[in-house]
Amino acid sequence: MKSFFAAAAILCSLAQTGCGGSAKTDLEVAAFKGGYGIDFYEQAAKEFEQKHPNLKIKVWGNPRVWSQLEPRLVAGDPPDLMFPGWGMDHWALVEEGQILQLDDALNGKPFEGNGSWRDTFDPALLALGKSDGKQWVLPYYYNVYGWWYDPGVFQKNGWTPPKTFDELLALCGKIKAKGIAPITFQGQYPYYMLDGMLLPWALSIGGIEAVRDAQNLVPGAWKSDAMLQAAKMIDRLNKEGDFQKGAVALSHTESQSEFLNGKAAMIPCGTWLESEMKNNMPPGAKVRFFLTPVVKGGKGDPSAVLIGIEPWMVPKDAKHPDAAIDFFKYMTSLTKAKQFVREKGTLTAIKGSDSESLPETLAEPARCVRESKTVWSVEYRNWYKDFDKEIQNALTAMLNNEITPEQFCERAEKKAEEVRNDPNIKKHKLGG
Amino acid sequence: MSLYRWRGLSSNRTFVGLDNYKKLAADHLFWQCVKNNLWLLVVGGTALIALGLLLAHGMQTRGALTRFLRSIYLFPQVVSLVVVAILWMFLYNPTHGLVPDLIRRIGIQPPAEGFLGSSTLALPSVCAAFVWYALGFYVMLFSAGIHQIPIEVSEAAELDGATGPRRFFGITWPLLWAVRRVACVYVVINVMNVFALVYLMTRGGPDRHTDTMLTYLYEQAFVDRQFGYAASLAVVNLVIALLLSAVVMVLLRRNPTAART
Repeated sequence: MKSFFAAAAILCSLAQTGCGGSAKTDLEVAAFKGGYGIDFYEQAAKEFEQKHPNLKIKVWGNPRVWSQLEPRLVAGDPPDLMFPGWGMDHWALVEEGQILQLDDALNGKPFEGNGSWRDTFDPALLALGKSDGKQWVLPYYYNVYGWWYDPGVFQKNGWTPPKTFDELLALCGKIKAKGIAPITFQGQYPYYMLDGMLLPWALSIGGIEAVRDAQNLVPGAWKSDAMLQAAKMIDRLNKEGDFQKGAVALSHTESQSEFLNGKAAMIPCGTWLESEMKNNMPPGAKVRFFLTPVVKGGKGDPSAVLIGIEPWMVPKDAKHPDAAIDFFKYMTSLTKAKQFVREKGTLTAIKGSDSESLPETLAEPARCVRESKTVWSVEYRNWYKDFDKEIQNALTAMLNNEITPEQFCERAEKKAEEVRNDPNIKKHKLGG
Repeated sequence: MSLYRWRGLSSNRTFVGLDNYKKLAADHLFWQCVKNNLWLLVVGGTALIALGLLLAHGMQTRGALTRFLRSIYLFPQVVSLVVVAILWMFLYNPTHGLVPDLIRRIGIQPPAEGFLGSSTLALPSVCAAFVWYALGFYVMLFSAGIHQIPIEVSEAAELDGATGPRRFFGITWPLLWAVRRVACVYVVINVMNVFALVYLMTRGGPDRHTDTMLTYLYEQAFVDRQFGYAASLAVVNLVIALLLSAVVMVLLRRNPTAART
């Protein structure tokens, strides 16, 4: 096994860092190449090199960068700075002692301006990178979750995006009368429904505590009244025929195409929707955001917004951690962050970066985040993958009418108990 | 590796002895996957052998249909599995798929949740795609076998007036025993290796109704990061495949033609 690790390390380092020797410090940055590409980081690296002539920065990345990073982490030869993307379990990396703690760096000076580097981040977003009170990973751009509609279709029919669940029910009736499915969803990936309906509704009914307790696996939280009511709301929509037929079997791109092609009027999704589907947009189609309709009279904050960060980190075995941190400080400077927002059309965790003119699609999610008193995120999915899979499966079973909302909650609670009692699974707590 | 607990993210490994295997024995999800694999083996395997033989036998004639079939039967084999999966997802699509449409035309209401979303129909639907994909290989195997039947035997059978089913059961079936045995072993290996098609079409869903041992293994290794446990799954998968192959070899070990002489 050891020789396998060593061979993997040698192969990877030959393939990815090259074999040149120079007096310069070689900084290696590996980044996930998703819808926003890596050209922005490459450009930033060039600019930073000009400011630091003794530094040579190599930026590389691809859509499955995490799978190339794994063997290098095992071999103790990781890059200096990395953004491994959604396929990497960053909390597992923290648990394995592979990530450098960043609190000291955050207390240091930022690239520009006064105060500490920490102060330049939105505190709610920064907190998502904490565990056991320590900062491990840092946010850069982030996504906002909600529902989407096509303003052209809505305007033509005189519909308005529903603000409350009652409005939603009434609207679904009108949409069905037109022969369109009110809602479609990414059935093969049931977490879209968890993030778009179940958890926001549980929050809306029971307050943020309902969702926080559920994520912290507090006994009884997954069969709390709020969770059960939220499950019943999904079941009700399902029974009333408000979901597109067969959506349970659809992949994310299939269901999103159904929505864009006007077969369904609404879909839950994150802010990446437009960039993910930009090659499949029918002419004239537009997408606009609205928050998951809330439950009137519920305990939860109606302005609550669900977001998710895309974390960057410095591996513990990085050869030049200080240079890596300096480079990331440059990337997170207000000037660069504003430029990122402008060029990539997405939101970043840097305070004040959304004052740039945003693309129309993002104006509403940005406003929701700005005006929200409760910005929250789903973290348990990153902590307990097996648990999340069971909840997703139980949700599918409920949508297929094989189990009732009560049984759904029972299944979730049973699995939560299993995880709670498993000494081999490290437990996390929300908010670090 | 199956004797360790390892997350695949650092060199920290803990020796856990047979713990992974004990966990496996008690894991009802794993047994559900075994059940799904066996279902695919029995239903899909039977379909593959039966259809493969039938087509190979039918293709001995010289009609235009035969020529047409000969030119296309290997087509699914040369198409990438990803394309096969996408193609069949299209066919099953609940709003514009060909399959629900055909079913509707013959007066049966297709499942509202879609073929791939239905807990009862998802596995048979995936199985149909699998059979379509794998069939060409078996047709080829049996065709080659049929061509090896000595011409004297076929001619003698023809002189005696054996045609169609009579010839199939009297000549083709018994003389193909060796090829049949190879085909059965191949079916076992094929089915135990089912991964990409299922993963792409349903990701094991809905609610694990189409999960196979390998999709479960993938999830354990690359999603849950339990490489040790996944390795024990791989070992068990190998053992099951070997055992099943051995059973097939033993069951089909007698040469029926040799026994007659």
